[in-house]
Amino acid sequence: MKPTSPLGRLRDGLVLVAFLLYATPFLWQLLTAFKPEAELMMLPPLLPTRLTWEHFRAVLDQSVMLRALVNSLGVGAITTALALTFGLFGAYGLTRYPIPGKGLLLLFIVAGTAFPQIATVSPLFLLLRALGLRDTWLALILANTSFALPLVIWLLTGFLQEVPAQLEEAAAVDGASRPRAFRWIVLPLLAPGLASAALLTFLFSWNEFLFAYTFTATEASRTVPVALALFPGVFEVPWGDIAAASMLASVPPVILVIVLQRYLVRGLLGGALRE
Amino acid sequence: MTDRRWWHGLLLLAPALVTLGALTLYPTVWVVWLSLQRRVPIFDVHRFEGLGNYLFLATDPRFWKAAQVTVVFTVASVLLEAGGGVLAALILRGQRWGSRIALSLLLLAWALPAVVTAKLFEWLYNPAVGLINFALGGVALNWLGDPRLALPGLILADVWRTMPFVTLLCYARLLAIPAEIYEAAQLDGAGAVATLTRITLPLLRRILLIAVLFRTLDAIRSFDLMFVLTGGGPAGTTETLTVYAYRSLFQAVQLGLGSAVGVVVFALVMLTAWGYLRALRSEGIVA
Amino acid sequence: MKLRRSAQWLILIIGVLLVAASCTAPPEGQGPITLVLKHAKILGPVDPIPRLLAQFESEHPGVRVKAEVLPWTSDEQRQFLVINLEGGRPGFDVMMLDCIWVPEFARAGWLLDVTPRLAPDELAAHFPAAVEAGTWDGRTWALPWFMNVGLLYYRTDLLRRYHLDPPATRAEMLEQIRIIRGGERNPKLEGYLWQGKQYEGLVVNVLEGLWAAGTSLLDERDRVFPDPARAEEVLHGLRQLVQTGASPAWVTAADEESTRRPFGNGEAIFLRSWPYAADLFERAGSPVQGKVGLAPLPREDPRRPAPGSTGGAHLAVTRQTRYPAEAFALARFLASAPAQRAMTASGATKPTLMALYHDPELVRLSPSLPHIHDLTLAGRSRPVTPFYVMISTTLQPELSAALVGVKSPARSVADSRRRLDFFLRDVRE
Repeated sequence: MKPTSPLGRLRDGLVLVAFLLYATPFLWQLLTAFKPEAELMMLPPLLPTRLTWEHFRAVLDQSVMLRALVNSLGVGAITTALALTFGLFGAYGLTRYPIPGKGLLLLFIVAGTAFPQIATVSPLFLLLRALGLRDTWLALILANTSFALPLVIWLLTGFLQEVPAQLEEAAAVDGASRPRAFRWIVLPLLAPGLASAALLTFLFSWNEFLFAYTFTATEASRTVPVALALFPGVFEVPWGDIAAASMLASVPPVILVIVLQRYLVRGLLGGALRE
Repeated sequence: MTDRRWWHGLLLLAPALVTLGALTLYPTVWVVWLSLQRRVPIFDVHRFEGLGNYLFLATDPRFWKAAQVTVVFTVASVLLEAGGGVLAALILRGQRWGSRIALSLLLLAWALPAVVTAKLFEWLYNPAVGLINFALGGVALNWLGDPRLALPGLILADVWRTMPFVTLLCYARLLAIPAEIYEAAQLDGAGAVATLTRITLPLLRRILLIAVLFRTLDAIRSFDLMFVLTGGGPAGTTETLTVYAYRSLFQAVQLGLGSAVGVVVFALVMLTAWGYLRALRSEGIVA
Repeated sequence: MKLRRSAQWLILIIGVLLVAASCTAPPEGQGPITLVLKHAKILGPVDPIPRLLAQFESEHPGVRVKAEVLPWTSDEQRQFLVINLEGGRPGFDVMMLDCIWVPEFARAGWLLDVTPRLAPDELAAHFPAAVEAGTWDGRTWALPWFMNVGLLYYRTDLLRRYHLDPPATRAEMLEQIRIIRGGERNPKLEGYLWQGKQYEGLVVNVLEGLWAAGTSLLDERDRVFPDPARAEEVLHGLRQLVQTGASPAWVTAADEESTRRPFGNGEAIFLRSWPYAADLFERAGSPVQGKVGLAPLPREDPRRPAPGSTGGAHLAVTRQTRYPAEAFALARFLASAPAQRAMTASGATKPTLMALYHDPELVRLSPSLPHIHDLTLAGRSRPVTPFYVMISTTLQPELSAALVGVKSPARSVADSRRRLDFFLRDVRE
């Protein structure tokens, strides 16, 4: 299409450098995670004389972070499964069935994506406390699902509307039952949409802080962002260890987002372009 | 046609509705009820107060300061993100190769949990060995401790974190613009600037305004970043309504007052969304 | 019906997920009693707790103690404890409390009343201020564990060079700063370091200023700033320290460590801090080794003493503990002389038992101990009221605003009173 002139290549290279500079905060933290303790509080020099694993070892030795990673993974996976399941059935019900007032229902559900967490945190706190669910995975799963569900339903109704109902009707004519048509025709077509919804839900759950900070009490259920925020230090802030912990906290979301970029675009666009 | 009884659909929708009802609707009603009470669990205070909490907030300097901080933060953040996001999207569009790498570098910032971003910037803003002071030539600016610098520092961190979202949406939109439009413009003799202002930007308008809507609502509700980065300090200069509500709820353990602030945030978000959608509707962007 | 199968699958999936999610804690084992002790990380070269707990376990067969570290900052510790104790099933038996939390927790019904378990005069060997801090409503709720007092560190070498004695009054100190800095001509030498960050430390510094000025934070009816004009003066005075340059601007964001380090590097003349720093300054390799002296805080009025604020930690037993006798035994063990001696010897904390301050072995390790003892006796505790934390956390942003110049001292004082009146309305007995 466009010829790759030397000037064009230069421009492309400069742009890449610019974007690399944009990622500097992250890269600086990455470097800090590998800087020896003695060299941390000196600047210049920018680069360390050697790289070390000591911070990662320190972080992983105190098992809090490790347990937090497990908690985040578990809570994230189950939240995603739950939100996707409820959301898929709900979206299917909304799009394929003549539920009275479904426009209004959908509007309310979509409005649920705009709810501020700070408004529901105190009643949820009291509710979870009354149910004896403090410091459990279930508390976080429920809290996260309540916020992920509207988003998932919104996305999936959009994606479902792109799958023509005639396909299922044709299948019905051929003698397929509703669930079979759903399983074999709709679901495969919906797969990319489901992937987008799953990605966004998992990301949201992993990064979620307010509820996790409030509803967890010990490392039994503490997730990664909370463990990072409450990172212990010996009077002076252990910047190297915090950097290492930050990197550990970032690995799953960063990998997911970069590898599954196009699902991200679909998901965000799907939600954004449809009102 | 096969039977599509509406109550089958309702049955399918039921789990979602029950979950949302119990975990979103019910708490929303409850928080309004809480805001009308004086509730201090530690001291066993639990009585109906009526509008007392709201009356207190109406003349509470800390509340109005928090409201001001919220507005400033939201407006500044969103403007910078929108401008930067469009710019980055346009630059990306012009990339011949490496656009996926470039986009990944950008998305890095967006993917991180806000707590990680807070720690990142806390380290960058360190007065003695922070990279930012170093890059500025060794000045000893106390970013997070100076009441004049803390809010700009916070806004910068938030813009860094959320601009990629706008970029992504705009970039995806730009990709969908057929090449013929640009070829036609070129044939008509349009220069780069004219192409930009007459063709590209108007086509971006819709997605940009929607992105701005999302980002505005997110910024009003924003909590993680400021709570971990500055805790609302110094001297309340970065204390948004959300942080004020949280501190009232769980530090001062004034559940009634904190709920009232939470209700205010809720109303603010809903009003903004409603007003915004109406404006978009009148422009024909939203159906 | 066609729907039934999908519904069945749905229910099955949800059921499995919910069961999986609810299984978080492993089932408790039968056998020995396990007590859980929550404490903040004890600083110092060696952590004395594990050895002490092992000793306790050997003296109490059938009892195991699991020590868990609390979050780092004082605020987080308290939030953690409050959220758990409020929830009804705390999951720990003995906890370390900052002394200012004891009345609050006692009033909330979270602590075990240990008065009946104490021998008469069992607590007489501890500092009276420490015992007072663990008492509320005439009952004892917590045992004193370690002690703190606010004091002034100064550079003996610098003062001696200019033939100065440790300052008795604030005015003297400021004058000394002027003289020394004028003579040294070292732009990196700061005058007076103190803690001005928006946290409890700021309230402590302000409190000491109020006491030096002859007023207090609360009157008998728990009203804050009973003498608002005097309180405004104190705030104004603190702000002046920064504006005249006697203190660097960054003290408004400084806590204990961020002031101890520069002083320990020789970059300041005076430092207001706690006893823990004394040993750190005398460590081998410290730039100020042998050059640091301790003194009482400078007075405003030569006739009126300026007490340092006392502080420290207590040990309390949760009321819902399943093993009150064993838990109290643990608390008593940790607060006893041998345990306090071990903790002091490991360098990090100062004991509440007065006799230990003259113990030859401990004094050998930390020569300033007797001096600290006298300073502690002259110290004054923060208001012992269940509302202290609420008052302090409400005051912190207001005081910080006055300090950095965002608000005038008069506005800060007025706003503080108004706010606390609203919070404490009909809560006070």
